[in-house]
Amino acid sequence: MNAGAIIGIDVGGTFTDLYLARAGEPAQVLKAPSTPSDPSIGLMDALAASGADGAGVGLIVHGTTIATNALIERKGARAALITTRGFRDVLELGRRDRPRMYGLSGVQRPLVPRDRRFEVDERMDAKGGVLIPLDLTAVRALGRELAADGVEAVVIAFLHAYANPAHEQAAAAALAELDADFEITQSHAVCNEYFEFERTSTAVVQGYLQPLVARYGRRLAERLVETDFPHEPLIMQSNGGVTPLGQVANRAANIVRSGPAAGVIAAAALARDAGFSHVITGDMGGTSFDVAVIVDGQPKVARTTKQDFRIVLKLPMIDVHTIGAGGGSIASLDRAGILQVGPESAGADPGPACYGRGGTAPTVTDANVVLGRIDWQSPIGDRPPLDIEAARKAVGDLGEQLGLSLEETAEAILAVVNHTMAGRTRLLSVEQGLDPRDFALVIFGGAGPLHGAAIMAEVGISTMLVPPEPGVLCAAGCCMADIRYDEAQTVERALDDLSSAEVGAILDGLAGAGREKLDVADGHLGASSASFTADMCYLGQIHNLRVPIERDWSPEDLSQAFENAYRQEFGNVLAGIPVILVSLQATISAPPPGQVTRTPAPLEPRAATPGSRRDVYFGGWRDTAIFARHDLKPGMTFQGPAIVEQADATVVIEPDMTVRVDGLDNLLVEVSR
Amino acid sequence: MSSPDPITLAVVRGALHQIADEMDLHLIHAAISPIISEMHDCAHGIYDARNGETIAQGGYGLPMFLANMQYTVQNLLAHVEADGGFQEGDVWIVNDPYLSGTHLQDVVLVAPYFVDGECFALFANTGHWMDIGGGTPGGWAPQAREIHQEGLIIPPLRIVRGGSRNDEVVKLILANLRLPGQIAGDLEAMTNVFHVGARGLDGLVARYGAKQVRDCIDEMMERSERQMREHIEEIPDGVYRFEDCFDNDGVVDAVLPVRLAITVAGSDMHFDFTGTSPAATGPLNMAETTTRSLAFVALKHIFPDVPVNGGAFRPTKFTVPPGCMLAAAYPSPVCGYTDVINRVIDVVFGALAPAAPEITPAAPFGTAGVTTVSGHNEDGRYYVAVYPAPGGYGGSAASDGLTNGTLPSSLAGFMSVEMSEHRYPLRFDYLAIREDSGGPGAHRGGCGTRYGIRALRDCVVSVLGDRHDHAPFGVAGGGAGGPFRATFEKGGERVTPPMRSKADKVSLSAGDAIHIETPGGGGFGDPRTREGEDIQADIAQGLVSEESARNRYGFAP
Repeated sequence: MNAGAIIGIDVGGTFTDLYLARAGEPAQVLKAPSTPSDPSIGLMDALAASGADGAGVGLIVHGTTIATNALIERKGARAALITTRGFRDVLELGRRDRPRMYGLSGVQRPLVPRDRRFEVDERMDAKGGVLIPLDLTAVRALGRELAADGVEAVVIAFLHAYANPAHEQAAAAALAELDADFEITQSHAVCNEYFEFERTSTAVVQGYLQPLVARYGRRLAERLVETDFPHEPLIMQSNGGVTPLGQVANRAANIVRSGPAAGVIAAAALARDAGFSHVITGDMGGTSFDVAVIVDGQPKVARTTKQDFRIVLKLPMIDVHTIGAGGGSIASLDRAGILQVGPESAGADPGPACYGRGGTAPTVTDANVVLGRIDWQSPIGDRPPLDIEAARKAVGDLGEQLGLSLEETAEAILAVVNHTMAGRTRLLSVEQGLDPRDFALVIFGGAGPLHGAAIMAEVGISTMLVPPEPGVLCAAGCCMADIRYDEAQTVERALDDLSSAEVGAILDGLAGAGREKLDVADGHLGASSASFTADMCYLGQIHNLRVPIERDWSPEDLSQAFENAYRQEFGNVLAGIPVILVSLQATISAPPPGQVTRTPAPLEPRAATPGSRRDVYFGGWRDTAIFARHDLKPGMTFQGPAIVEQADATVVIEPDMTVRVDGLDNLLVEVSR
Repeated sequence: MSSPDPITLAVVRGALHQIADEMDLHLIHAAISPIISEMHDCAHGIYDARNGETIAQGGYGLPMFLANMQYTVQNLLAHVEADGGFQEGDVWIVNDPYLSGTHLQDVVLVAPYFVDGECFALFANTGHWMDIGGGTPGGWAPQAREIHQEGLIIPPLRIVRGGSRNDEVVKLILANLRLPGQIAGDLEAMTNVFHVGARGLDGLVARYGAKQVRDCIDEMMERSERQMREHIEEIPDGVYRFEDCFDNDGVVDAVLPVRLAITVAGSDMHFDFTGTSPAATGPLNMAETTTRSLAFVALKHIFPDVPVNGGAFRPTKFTVPPGCMLAAAYPSPVCGYTDVINRVIDVVFGALAPAAPEITPAAPFGTAGVTTVSGHNEDGRYYVAVYPAPGGYGGSAASDGLTNGTLPSSLAGFMSVEMSEHRYPLRFDYLAIREDSGGPGAHRGGCGTRYGIRALRDCVVSVLGDRHDHAPFGVAGGGAGGPFRATFEKGGERVTPPMRSKADKVSLSAGDAIHIETPGGGGFGDPRTREGEDIQADIAQGLVSEESARNRYGFAP
């Protein structure tokens, strides 16, 4: 093996995907079963199966669902929260809401229950001035109680700590001196911005996950050392950048959406290399469809995301929207007798009826099997042949209720689920004021390429890109991400009251904090770069706009940039109303060593020859060309209807669509003119 | 009518909702007023041109507009017919609350959609304008005795005729508003939304043909009606009565009763509000349109799976005595409708609780409980800070009630303490769960919230709430939640305002404070049957005191 291979590993609920890239060679991909009780076992299994050895591997980059799962299943640490007196309930109160628009039922499960939330005397004002000094004696006494109580994590979240962290720092230092077993989290260190509920919630997620992520990190590091992998692996973060394994415990809240972020990063990189800067990404797996938007090559970043009812993360995360539509989504009739698909899913167990594990409800996968789109005799992921009779029975039973034939029912299931995904895709772009017709669709995930063509047509997107390995794109994305840190600070002052020097000093401080973390990162990084943004609004507005800025801009430049952005967003400006600089952000990033860049192969235009043919249902059974993906070479073209089969996915090309293979082995699919 | 095939039906239903959602998003994106762009105080829908029934309504607007839009469109139809009917390229405007419900700020536009020269459907939207003239900026006039003090009334009129706008009428309207520039932009955005809707329906009609789309709509309506009827049939036949009271209207200190008798007969449901208080002297009144809409909001909270379309509304009938506080007539003021809205939801819960105990919750906190503080910042700038009350939801057969919920008619949140302290010379002493305020029950009501706001500079405080004398009720043997309380702290003394839940323009000096305790939700079921371990957990969490556990739950550890 050549030195300097880079391996991306994405651990999902069912499969651990591995993607191995070496300069000048085709990528190697494989799937191994995940091991949820200790995901590092499945990861090591996948590594062993790849045949990679420590000496030949420059870097391992890893996406993980460990944090997400611990959060949703409430399997994190026994944590305590210390707050300003009068405010221990902020975490539970949230900001006045309910779980759903209609229906008043629903219960809340705060990560830290009320009897482990404590108040101490201290208070800052909004400018960071001390109103009430911190009662350190009380903090120490509380710390001893918490240690005796077996608390694993203590989170300190004081009001206005972003304006002056002195009290949080002093309390943390006092607790650290106790030499107790708990880990300590300070709210300003996790999220240095105002909005007490959002900051407290973010810090609590960090504290709640930290012990577990730390244990996982240590275990993984040990296993890798035992097997002679010398370099410290990198972990994918929700912001689309990576961080060294050694830092991951302190950034546990930053890896909550690690896997989906990696997929979007990969899609953005592939699309950019293929010449598309405006991209919608669609990732369809067994239970969900994740959709994200990339504008000018940059994935949209969400500033605040909801992980569960009243569990909010105020951290930059790639903005991935999820709906309950996947291969396992169940088709049924609603109370009005109208066909619906999802959000209920057959999951991995029992799974679709065709898995032959006792599932009897018809799923999207069953519909694809019935229509011959999935070859039941050789499914993806090294499974045994599927039980086509079980699929036919499940779909047929539903058809009887609808008065439709077997094939019509299966087609109806696909029509409804495709419509649901297309609708969400459209809304996501419309919500952001974008016209979906200006975008290319990058489709991936185990089930995505079965449905992408229909979604593209429904949304009105002109081109779909199917990556070379669509079933393991999140693993591939790990190999393409930069090391990245986001820093932010609340300012909340009128631009008129600020000088260029003040703004510059804050930006330098933020960039410096990010560079410090880069310096700690192991390895020989490429050149680091810094970019800056500012959140601004008109006085009195609740929402603000994030605008890209330069380090040396004056307050007047900022004001101008804000007004331009406001006009673009809302069509006008509110002249005469002061502009508030709400906060400043810096993003510091650097490429990790050994990233593999691929160069396009020359195109040899010719028609592709199908490896075989079989009957597939497209509004009627049609003799359909079946292509093996590895036979498709740059420059080849073919027409739909067609099926492309590969180890990690099945690609459906609808009738009246044209496919060409580009120099990077992507399939570019367009509606024929 | 021929029955559409199931695939087309499912796709057309999805597409119609998608069009309504896109209309919502378009306005939310394009409106100038933050109350629309940030609070989503708007609604959009597609309505049947023949009878005004809702075909689809967007999912992003506020719940209170649920059925209000249909009734508004229906009220408008008569006016349009009298004026020659809908013509291609017309847009109608109305904000007369006796026709279009809620209050003068909610302006409604209606536009016809034509296919081959025939009016196929109507689009309508409503948006909250930040000002509508009248005696008070923003429109909340607690001392109003007649609608003219509340602002400009726009009767149904054609603001766009055959595609060209009547700019003279627009000028007249804008001349009466305090924020003409901003609202001109909102009006423009609201008018533009109809292009988004038309584009969507064009696509659907081109794909399936007008006849097939029409058949799908008719089928959807019928199926929604059947679905609603199935729900109603599960409720035993009978007459279910409930009565609740407002503390007062803020002007005259007299109780205002709200009476409801729901008659369930087979799959029909009749809401009869006979016996409800006559119109209030102050603005605690509401148009019939909105009363009916809120009855549906209550039903939708009980049966969340029922789709929002006219079919679902068909099995219901209403009797709301004209001129009573729930069917306000000219010239009754209506701008205090926010508490009235929520009381309609509560009495529907109260009436249905014995009939459908498995699915009906006890009363939620049920008051807008708005604290408004105004004064001048250090730099002399005038500010107005608004803190609407959160509160507990009622317990239900399924679970305890939620703490710190938002109004069932709304989705609006509570301001961040840190942001508030950046913006206003006010300091929060505390923001906390109000212990022991959840109504006792087998399933307890959610706790209310308490907060203390201290003035750093002189200011003026108003409170508009209710449920001080009549706390949120429990059902099925559950007890009431803690009542609303507003206490002024002036010069070290604690004072309750004369109208308890309402106070108009109380002056505070620097160092004074206002303390608010919001209601908890009512309890569900006999508290003595609550599981011992749940009571113990409540005590450990400090949500129920040991004394309450003993006295109200009969709990002996």
